[in-house]
This record gives sequence, C-alpha cells and structure tokens, in this order.
Amino acid sequence: MATATQATKQTQLTMVQALQSALVEEMDRDEDVVILGEDIAVRGGVFLITEGLVDRFGTDRVIDTPLAEAGIIGAAVGMALYGLKPIAEIQFIDFIFPGFDLLVSEAAKIRYRSAGQFGVPMVVRSPYGGGVRGGSYHSQSPESYFVATPGLKCVVPSNPYDAKGLLIASIRDPDPVVFMEPKKIYRAVKSEVPVGPYEVPLGKAALTREGKHVSIITYGAMVHVALEAADTIAKEGVEVEVLDLRTLQPYDTEAILQTTAKTGHVVLLQEAPRIGGYSGEIAAFIAEQAVEYLEGPIVRVAGWDTAFPYALEKAYMPNAQRVIRAIKKTLNF
Amino acid sequence: MDIKPFTTEPIRVLAYDGTPIENVDKLGVSKDEWLKMYRWLVFVRGVDDRGYILVRQGRAGFYAQIAGQEASQVGSALPLRKEDWMYPDHRSQGSMLVKGLTPTEWFGHVLGRMADPTQGRLMPHGPGRNDLHIVPPSSTVGNKITEAVGTAMAQRIKKRKEITITYMGDGATSEGDFHVGMNFAAVYTAPVIMFVQNNQYAISMRTDQQTHTKTIAEKAMAYGMDGYLVDGNDILAVYLVTKHCADKARSGNGPSLIESYTYRYGPHSSADDDTRYRPKGELEMWRTQRDPVTRMRKFLELRGLWSEEQEQKLQAEVKAQLAQAMEEAEKSPVPEPLSVLDYAYAERTPHLEWERQELAAELGA
Repeated sequence: MATATQATKQTQLTMVQALQSALVEEMDRDEDVVILGEDIAVRGGVFLITEGLVDRFGTDRVIDTPLAEAGIIGAAVGMALYGLKPIAEIQFIDFIFPGFDLLVSEAAKIRYRSAGQFGVPMVVRSPYGGGVRGGSYHSQSPESYFVATPGLKCVVPSNPYDAKGLLIASIRDPDPVVFMEPKKIYRAVKSEVPVGPYEVPLGKAALTREGKHVSIITYGAMVHVALEAADTIAKEGVEVEVLDLRTLQPYDTEAILQTTAKTGHVVLLQEAPRIGGYSGEIAAFIAEQAVEYLEGPIVRVAGWDTAFPYALEKAYMPNAQRVIRAIKKTLNF
Repeated sequence: MDIKPFTTEPIRVLAYDGTPIENVDKLGVSKDEWLKMYRWLVFVRGVDDRGYILVRQGRAGFYAQIAGQEASQVGSALPLRKEDWMYPDHRSQGSMLVKGLTPTEWFGHVLGRMADPTQGRLMPHGPGRNDLHIVPPSSTVGNKITEAVGTAMAQRIKKRKEITITYMGDGATSEGDFHVGMNFAAVYTAPVIMFVQNNQYAISMRTDQQTHTKTIAEKAMAYGMDGYLVDGNDILAVYLVTKHCADKARSGNGPSLIESYTYRYGPHSSADDDTRYRPKGELEMWRTQRDPVTRMRKFLELRGLWSEEQEQKLQAEVKAQLAQAMEEAEKSPVPEPLSVLDYAYAERTPHLEWERQELAAELGA
C-alpha cells in the first residue's frame, strides 16, 4: 500500500529522475543517510543518478570511493553497524562480486549471528540487465545469488513510480537491501511520480495488468516484455494477467497464489539464466502450494544458460515472441 | 619514549627477563597501571585456560586459545575508551574481556548457552556486544577490516572523538580485504588502528611463507600510513604504541598499522595438530624465555611491587571468580529450538513464519 500522504503534486519522471528524487528527499529528511561509490560525486555517477548531490550534501555524505567494490560494501556495512544509513552504489552489478563476501557473509548475517544486537540498515543500489550492448560485464542479472542468502532483501523496480517508493522503503528498512535497477529502462519510460517522499512497501507485488487466461509472473525490465506479449496475444483473444513481483525476497506469496488460482496457467519470465534462477523458486512455491489450480505446466522464459553475449544480445534476451510461445505451451496443454 | 614507525627491531620497553630497557618512570604509565596490566594478563590467561578445558571435556566443539598472546591483546585494548569500537578476530577474547565482556558471557559463548550475548549462534571464537561496541568476529579471514574502516569513516563523518580498532592475524594480511581496507583507511584519514597479531603461523603457514616483506609493519608505507613493529609479548610496549596510535587517530591524524610480534602456544584451534609444523624446541623457547605474563611479573618483582604472597592471592581470586562465572554459564539455559528462526531479519518474513510453524509442529510445541 503506497502511503503517498505527504506527496500530492505529481510530475512525469524517468526512472533516473525518480531515483534521484528518492535520494534527495531521504537525504534531506535524515542526515544519517549517506551515499558512497565510484564516480558518484563530481561525475554524478555514470548514469547521472547522483548528479548534483555532492553540491547539496557535501563530500561527507556523498562519498567518492577508490575503485574497490569490497571496500564500498565493507565500508557501508561498518557505517550501518555504527548507525548511519549508507547507500552504496555499485557502478554495474556485474562488478559486485569483489564485494560479494561482504554482502553475503557480513551484511546478511550480522543480525542473525549477533542474536539481533546489530543490524545493517544499508542499501546496495546497482544497475543490472541487458539490452544496452554491454556484453558479459555490463548486462547480467545475478539476483539468484542474493535471494538465496537469508538476511538480504532484494528489490527490482519496473517503473519510475515504484522505483522511487521502493528505494525510499529500502532506505528506511532495518535490513540490507540489494536494489537492482533495470538500466535498459532508466530513461525509456516515464510515469507520474509524486513530489515528496512516499513508500512502496517491500514484499508486495503489483498487478500490472488484469487478465483471466494466463498469468505472467515477472519483475524489472521484463515486465515490459510481458506487457508487449500481452498486447500482442490479446489480438487472439487471450487475456493475460501480469504480476510484477517488485520484491524478490521476501516475496508476495498471496499475490502469486491469487493469480495462479485465477488463471490456472503460469508463465515465469526472467532475464537471468534458467538453471538455478529465481523463477525456479516461484515455480516450486506454486507447485507446493497451489498445484490444484494448475491447468497446464508452469513454463519458464529465461536467458540462456550461457554467459551474456555482446554481439548476439538480441538472440540471448527473452522477448515477447518467446513469451507468447510459452503462453501457448501452457494454454494448449 | 620516542615511538617511531618502521623500525627494523620491535619496539620494546622490557627485555625478555623483565629488565627495563627504557626509563619506565618517564613513560606516563603509573605503578597502579603496571599492576592493573599484570592483573589483566593473569585474568585473561585464567579465562582462556578454563575455557579450553571445556573442549577437552567434550563440552565444546571448538576453541582458539590466546595463550602466548595475552600482552598483545590486553595491551592493545587498555588504551581504548568505552565509546571506541572494536572489531575482534577469531582469537581476540583477551581484548574483548578488557573491553567489558564478562567471563560468564565468554564461557556461555563457548558452551552455546543463553549467557552468550549472541545466544549460541556463532562457533565459539568470539561473541559481540552492541553496548560495548564489540562487533562479532567472522571466520572469513580479513573481511572485518573494511567494515572497521567504514565504522571509523562514520566516526569521522559524525565528528566524534572516537576510534576503531580491528584485529587480524599475519595470515589476514594476504587477503585482498587487507589491501582494500588499508587503502580506504588512509584515503579517508579514518580513525582506525589495524592491529596485526603476528603470531608467526596462519594455521601451519609461517609468516615467511605468507609474505615476502621482512615485516608486516612496512606494508603500511605503501598506503601512506605509519606502521609500527612492537614486541607483542611486552605489554608496556604494546600499550604505549597502541596509545600513541589511538591518540593520533583521535586527534584527526588518521590510521596506523601495528604489527605485534608474538607467538601462539596452542594449536590454531582445538581441531588443529600443531606438532605437524612447529620445529622442535620452538614452543618451549617461547614459553620459557619470552612469556608475556612472566615478563611483566619479573618486572614488577624487580621494582619491588610484587611478591609471592600477592601472586598466590591473585591466582586464588581469579580462580574463585572464574569458578563462579563457569557455574553461572552452566546454569544458563540452552537457546530455545524455535529461536533458530529469529533474527534473520528485523521481522520474520511470511516464509519464516511458515517455517516456524513447521518446526513448532516437529517439536510438538
């Protein structure tokens, strides 16, 4: 439930602008919020999300760091333990792995292993995903690693309104959040975004499109692929429901059960490779909890089980045609 | 006493036999403080000896002794203030006790009881206590270094007159996190002390197999940081060098690295067999000629401040205090099985609620 009480004025923003307004408003509200990362101050970040923030909040709160992801995440953990609310920017999520240990061994586990004495209220923001001609190291979708780590939350917005509200909710969350930003649609879509802070609560999915024949459960940039597929197949009389998960851990079990019960046909859509991918968790959940509603197989549409290619990006990424084939596969079972 | 970085010989106040090398009356450390240091040495050794017995009795699964490193641990923790932050490593219980952890909590930790502030969630190589600013250690060697730097950066951002100390062994200096942490600390003038207990072995690997530099202290030079080599079995020297670095950090003059050159008497842990890699006679040499507790005692005796009677009395006091602490720890309950599902997050997620119901059913609760 979006609490847009303080936010009345609306304006058309891109996701980049929406994310920046979340950062500015939260930094205005709470002086313990600091941001750190590579090239985020004078350069404004390589995607300009933090543009101008250093002028407004100073170098103590907008911290350019040496080139070391382990240092960025490690320092953020130490700041969070101390009581600050750090937002670490990893320039591309493909570069997060040097800091992976600090995320999965430290940020994720300190609350548990200290029996609740210490918390790590931090956010790791990072652009993810393909479609920008970035090759193997500027295109990946590594969410599976994070959702498989108890203690971490994982959030993936699909539009500017959610991006702002989810980022604000993540900053205010007492636990560490990996906030994955679909860079392909950073500037591709605009939506109405309220001026002033509001939260889109973590753990709640959004029913982006209602339909009665088949449910596509997805998140992030793939929501738009799902919508394209839904528009296309609507011409054949198939009414597609699109559920945008928004938060992958913890996820909205109720919404998944509801849409499954409603349509009886489920297509799971993700950009990441199939094996060990996030959709496998949702498929297993549905199989355990809602098999009686299923009238066809759960079908996954995913990236291929390879590294992410450069020149062959189009052949790699899931598209509307693949989604439509998956829809037909489950409907024609 | 002029404390200089990058010496080739360890900074030392007392010779191995306890004879002062420096003018001890001009160190700014009072006789009462000398006595206090010695009492701490005896106390932490007592706690450790008592704790290790729990493994031999089969009542604990793991133990990493600090024996031999007491002066490094006590001497580096005494200059800290209550508000300062400590990031211990897996062999830092001596420092934690000085910072305020109680022996009951330590024994509770080793036994996995509720007397443990971390409620039995960590293998017994160190609990943490938020109110004492002791962060629970990690088993991934070196990864606390960057966190400690982050805490120190926060202290500087908040303009507080506090510092952070992070403990590591010689082996940790081979990790990437050491390099990253050193670099960040220096770049941000973070008020942090990198305290390396060079006990000469990382499990079986000798320091000369670990690094090609002659000392660990000299690595600091590459980061634009001062590095101090100190005799880690000389509590006065460890105290003075740490105090020097703490004052420097507190007054806004940035981080330091301290290499405390010491020796571990025990195996790496209760699961290790150190007879496979230690040369014959080495352990006995350190025990009989360089012991940190004996050295301080000899010094106090030389100054006429300590007698056999005082020693007997202190040993009896410590023994009684630890017997009581052990009793309290043993009386403390084991954690409730259902609590295994607590503290993954600030609030249980829907999945954790289900799992809790599943476990409750299994337990017949």
